[in-house]
Amino acid sequence: MTIKDLVSGWRTWLEARSDLSSIEQFLRKKTVPQHKHSIWYYTGSAILLFFTIQVITGFMLVFYYKPTLEEANQSVAQIMTEIPLGWIIRSVHTWSAFFMIAIVFIHLLSIWITKAYRKPRELTWMSGVFLLFVTLGFGFTGYLLPWDDLSLSATKVGTDIPRSIPVVGAWVTKFLRGGDDVTGDTLTRFFGFHVCILPVLIFVLLAVHVYLIQKHGMSLPLPVELRKEKVKEIPFWPNFVYREMIVWLILVGVLFTVAIFLPPSLDKAADLMAPAPEGIKPEWYFLFLFQLLKIFPAHVLFISGDTIAVILILLGVIFFFFLPLIDNKPARVKGKVIAVIAYVFIVFAVAMTVWSLH
Amino acid sequence: MKKSIIGFLLCILFCAFFLPLFTLAQEVQKQQVEIPQQEEHEKIIPSPQDIKESTGIFVFIGWIWLVIFILIYILRLKIKEVDRLYQIKYFSSKED
Amino acid sequence: METMKLKHSLFTRRQFLNGLFGGWLGALLASLMYPIVKFIFPPVREPDQVVLPFSEFKDMAPNEAKNFPWGSKPGILKRNDDGSYTAFVAVCTHLDCNVSYLAEQRKFFCACHEGWYDEEGKNIQGPPPRPLRRLIVSIEGEDLIIKREDLQ
Repeated sequence: MTIKDLVSGWRTWLEARSDLSSIEQFLRKKTVPQHKHSIWYYTGSAILLFFTIQVITGFMLVFYYKPTLEEANQSVAQIMTEIPLGWIIRSVHTWSAFFMIAIVFIHLLSIWITKAYRKPRELTWMSGVFLLFVTLGFGFTGYLLPWDDLSLSATKVGTDIPRSIPVVGAWVTKFLRGGDDVTGDTLTRFFGFHVCILPVLIFVLLAVHVYLIQKHGMSLPLPVELRKEKVKEIPFWPNFVYREMIVWLILVGVLFTVAIFLPPSLDKAADLMAPAPEGIKPEWYFLFLFQLLKIFPAHVLFISGDTIAVILILLGVIFFFFLPLIDNKPARVKGKVIAVIAYVFIVFAVAMTVWSLH
Repeated sequence: MKKSIIGFLLCILFCAFFLPLFTLAQEVQKQQVEIPQQEEHEKIIPSPQDIKESTGIFVFIGWIWLVIFILIYILRLKIKEVDRLYQIKYFSSKED
Repeated sequence: METMKLKHSLFTRRQFLNGLFGGWLGALLASLMYPIVKFIFPPVREPDQVVLPFSEFKDMAPNEAKNFPWGSKPGILKRNDDGSYTAFVAVCTHLDCNVSYLAEQRKFFCACHEGWYDEEGKNIQGPPPRPLRRLIVSIEGEDLIIKREDLQ
């Protein structure tokens, strides 16, 4: 009885009880088109890679992190100084968050520009927009957890912004903060969001998103589809997955190198009574929104500048969410204009971000 | 010709979006230089304690990259194999 | 010298390649697991020694015992009849319950499973498999110093 016999024996046993081979067959039948813009197909699994790393390092950090006002900062300090190699785990968690959010933006923009959200993939896009918000929510809630001066101030500013939304603003802020001000209760609430509520939401949304992708198959960019020529396709398993593995290996290497040579520091514990420190700013992925809010004057006629900015942002989000329905004639002028808007958005976001750094 | 110039410019602009990442990295670098002036409980900046740790870190990263390159080399061989199998339609009629 | 000839290869080229891949992937995962495992199993947090103010213990009567903190475990300090002190880690060697000293019977008692130790800490009755862990006591001026036994 060789090892090969043993393994195939177990596989037969499992197969008789679970029909796992149908999954393997599906993955072998599924194909991925190869064309000029195929590189963007790699962004989806890259996001999943970084998310998996976040879950694993998050599990480990949660063993030692203490989510109370008195102990939060000290527990992170303990992770960085006393727990063996804790600083690496924390550094990987921080940098993987950056990379995940960066690739989420790249993924989103590539879908927008190639118009992969066209019928029948509208729901995939919309679940993707929800996924974007949950991902940004992870970033925002995680930022507060070390409870140092900078993250406390950034959270104060960040949770104050929804207050400018007409009608429901004050409630949104109260909901986020667990009260009127940012306190220890906010920390507990953010921790609950970060390790419990948002993970459940992201798993549900991911299930929907990934199911829809399998159902509809990989989309072709509009110009390629319109040309109506036969596009070369390769099987998802194992051909495309092997190629994805190369991408994952490089990303993991870059992540670990950056994490080890540029680990994040930890400031001293936040003081709720102290004045705001200088140079408050949110994480880089919110900088362009932050700058947008800053450039509005305090009042325009009788409405506060913040309210106008927030309403503009909300309108932008709504346009963004319903993009597949708005872009119902993708091949015509309207479709081209919408693609140009994507580029305009890139320029705008980059310009605002760079501006906010000065 | 025009398209490629526009595409190239947009790539540059797009990379600039990640500029904050580098300024953050620079900030961290500056902070690391400031270690001697700052009190211990004020700010914690992780850095290797002695030459043994520094060397250990470099060895670890070097080893990880070596293994990654080896794996990528093997994967390229596997991709060539699997692409050729698909091309000669090895899997089409008989279900393996 | 005759070389051995095999009728068939031990493995195919595909198996060889897959084996190489699996092996090196295992190496990568093992290297990445190393910091993870070190992280999850933090080092033992027992102190090498504990320094206490002697004033709290110098008025102890003979055959009296007092607790003191030994890291995260309780320690017990007993004053002997001749005036000297003995210290033990007050944790039962059976299943880690905290023990107490019953002065009348001159024995240490663990309530969880009725384990008994004599006044030297030796296990005399019940389930405990080993004697209580002894610690080294020394008095230096104002301080009572209690050290781990294996640190000599």
